Amino acid sequence: MLVRRCVSGDAAAWEEIVRTYSRRIYNICYRFAGSADDAEDLTQEVFIKMYRTLSSYDSSKGAFVTWVTTITRNLLVDHFRKTKQDRLTDSMDAPVSAQEDAQPLSEQIQDHSAPPDSRVQSREVGETVHAALAKLSPELREAVILRDLQDFDYREIASVLKVPEGTVKSRINRGRAELARLLQRTYRQVM
Amino acid sequence: MPDLTRNGMQHPEFESLLSDAIDGVLSGPRLAAFQAHARTCSVCGPLLAEVEAGRNWLKGLTEVEPPASLVHNILASTTSVDTQRQQAGIAAAQFPLWERAQAWVSDALQPLWATVRQPRFAMSFGMAFFSLSVALSMLGVKPSDLRQISLRPAAIRHTYYNTQARVVRYYENIRFVYEVESRMRQLKRDVAPAEPAPAKTKEHKNDTTEQPEQKQERNYSQPDSHFVLACAPLGPSVVHSLNQDLPVVSVTTYRRFV
Repeated sequence: MLVRRCVSGDAAAWEEIVRTYSRRIYNICYRFAGSADDAEDLTQEVFIKMYRTLSSYDSSKGAFVTWVTTITRNLLVDHFRKTKQDRLTDSMDAPVSAQEDAQPLSEQIQDHSAPPDSRVQSREVGETVHAALAKLSPELREAVILRDLQDFDYREIASVLKVPEGTVKSRINRGRAELARLLQRTYRQVM
Repeated sequence: MPDLTRNGMQHPEFESLLSDAIDGVLSGPRLAAFQAHARTCSVCGPLLAEVEAGRNWLKGLTEVEPPASLVHNILASTTSVDTQRQQAGIAAAQFPLWERAQAWVSDALQPLWATVRQPRFAMSFGMAFFSLSVALSMLGVKPSDLRQISLRPAAIRHTYYNTQARVVRYYENIRFVYEVESRMRQLKRDVAPAEPAPAKTKEHKNDTTEQPEQKQERNYSQPDSHFVLACAPLGPSVVHSLNQDLPVVSVTTYRRFV
């Protein structure tokens, strides 16, 4: 309804769309791109693209939020290709060090003095997790962002990423495991 | 990864149920089998712990606050898009076809103009102009002459015939000069007595101007006509053997270094 009003030229409807989705899109961009400046620029680009292509939205094909997220994701992928961040990413297939092999990973994770739930309360921990997230490969990163930060269901994520649900689940699990390994490595270096 | 079966469950099945187990939607005997496999399997147990830990880290991340000016900037940028679109529509409706075509051409030439304005291009253009002006000045072409050139067809035809006549005249003159010269040479040859053939000059022994210098051994430290004794004394064993078989011969060589 809102989209239809906007397409017919209702400026107030467009403003409402911007106010409703800007926060969500900004957060996706921020978590994916890694910097606030990039996130702001990308969010604006998303809305400009959305404004230009709003008439092409077909409600029978999916929810508006899925359509918006698909536009966001496509722009983020383009941005990633331009900035070539893949050199900074770690692969799931990267060999683990000998020290990591010496101890089961589950025990290593449990070695923390406090559980993760309490750690992420602090800002520093949040920044560490954010930095670790930026090191994930883009395929894993976008999957965990949509699932764990944006609370999309698997079907919606599959629609946005244009991959089967099984692949989505696999990527999410691999992304979570990789993130845990990266953070565990980071904290071991600090301690 | 080998497909080990523990507690009636294999690794691929465990991985496929992992998301459901993490989300809490797995229940009943499947959950029990999943948990039992996680407890006993050395691969799947740590994987489950990692995935849970990663999820907890991510869930702990709080939503970031976007900049206060974000909504305003978005609305401003989309309004400018709108304004541009409207202006384009108005322009299409108001201006005649010729002006629209002119505007389209200027838009199309915009990237070319941007390239031309670059210092690199300006330098290249300057160098090309300088080279051309140097070449023209060396050829004797003056810009003032060029300015007087008329490009009317009649004028061009006139210039062509003028140039052709000048070339023909020049050729005729040169031909006349050559004919006079050849006649003069003929007359000279007829009047003057026949000269004897030039005698062959005797070659000097020491003249080495036309021949490569022969390799000579020279001792520049010794003065001329200095005699050197070139024999070496013979060793006792040689002398002894020579005394027995051969007559004693003493060889002394005098050599003069030239």
